[in-house]
Amino acid sequence: MTRLQRNAVLTVALVMWLAAALPSLIGAQVAQTKAPLAQAKTPSMDLTSMKSFGSRQAPITIEIFSDYQCPQCRQFFMTTTQQLMDNYVAAGKVFLVHRDFPLPMHSYSHEAARWANAAAEAGQFEAAERALYNKQDDWGSTGKIEATLAAALAPGDMKKIHTIETTETPQIDAAIQRDIDLGNSRQVTGTPSIFVIHHGQITPLPAGGVNYVLLKQYLDMLGQQR
Amino acid sequence: MLGRVALGIIFLYAAYAKLHFDGAWHLRDYYFLFAMAIDSYRLLPLWMVEWMARILPWMELALGVWLILGAGLRWAGAATSALLLVFIGAMWRAKMLGLEINCGCFGNNEKLGTLTLLRDSSLLLLALAVTAGAFLVRRPRRVTV
Repeated sequence: MTRLQRNAVLTVALVMWLAAALPSLIGAQVAQTKAPLAQAKTPSMDLTSMKSFGSRQAPITIEIFSDYQCPQCRQFFMTTTQQLMDNYVAAGKVFLVHRDFPLPMHSYSHEAARWANAAAEAGQFEAAERALYNKQDDWGSTGKIEATLAAALAPGDMKKIHTIETTETPQIDAAIQRDIDLGNSRQVTGTPSIFVIHHGQITPLPAGGVNYVLLKQYLDMLGQQR
Repeated sequence: MLGRVALGIIFLYAAYAKLHFDGAWHLRDYYFLFAMAIDSYRLLPLWMVEWMARILPWMELALGVWLILGAGLRWAGAATSALLLVFIGAMWRAKMLGLEINCGCFGNNEKLGTLTLLRDSSLLLLALAVTAGAFLVRRPRRVTV
């Protein structure tokens, strides 16, 4: 092969590689810029407010799309969410919104979301969420979600939750679907997916959950931008 | 030459995507989100995560410029290959651990998947080819009498 032929082959190979690689490179940037624009407005619904914590007037809103059967969601809840509630939500700095995003690969996560929403309507969302994550391994293998909640909540509350879960299933499913649709519009594919909303700008945080120390630094930086 | 310029442009783009997002430059606060992306690999202690998040975009920028200029190509190629080797090692490890995280390669919101692994592996091959080419070109030819 002559030098000219070799150069020609190399050039063709390089052009073919660039043609294959560039769309994915550009795609990454497009996805990044599209995400904040996809949903500037959140749907108003009662169940969402019952699954939210803190003041709506807080300068920062954090939306967490989660799946009760997802181990990373449990990890995030046990470590980051709890500290976030104590240090930012309680102080009026952050308004925390829970969004359901049950993944199809988890057999009981949709049912768990249904029970959590029923608990939210009964005013017991915080306790139900904690019970579901604490005992994720148990009900995740047996599917006994109601028993898990019953062990953690007062019998009176549990009776109320049971009634809501059985009589309002279509409305609850519709609310869960609205969260899923919102997540899909923001290109959510896994959980936990966290969005920080500040001054109308929706910023998706990197997937896989976030270390509290790093989130704290980010929130403090946003807090200084007033 | 095409290889090193292509690699240089890709590195410049990688740096740009980390410093410019949400429609604006983030020269003062770029590292917060990038640190979260690095930390999600669960590979480094927090102090090193923060340090890497601050310097990596600038390192990529410098490498991109260096590759495009073509000066000291053997060293530029070797440094690029080494950096890509570290990136790809971390990515393969995350994939094998089943971590559902972002790549952090070109911006903060690109999911780590098979395609991103193949793309970055092909970048490594290109960097190795550029490095090997630079060493071969600079090797003194034996004079025969």
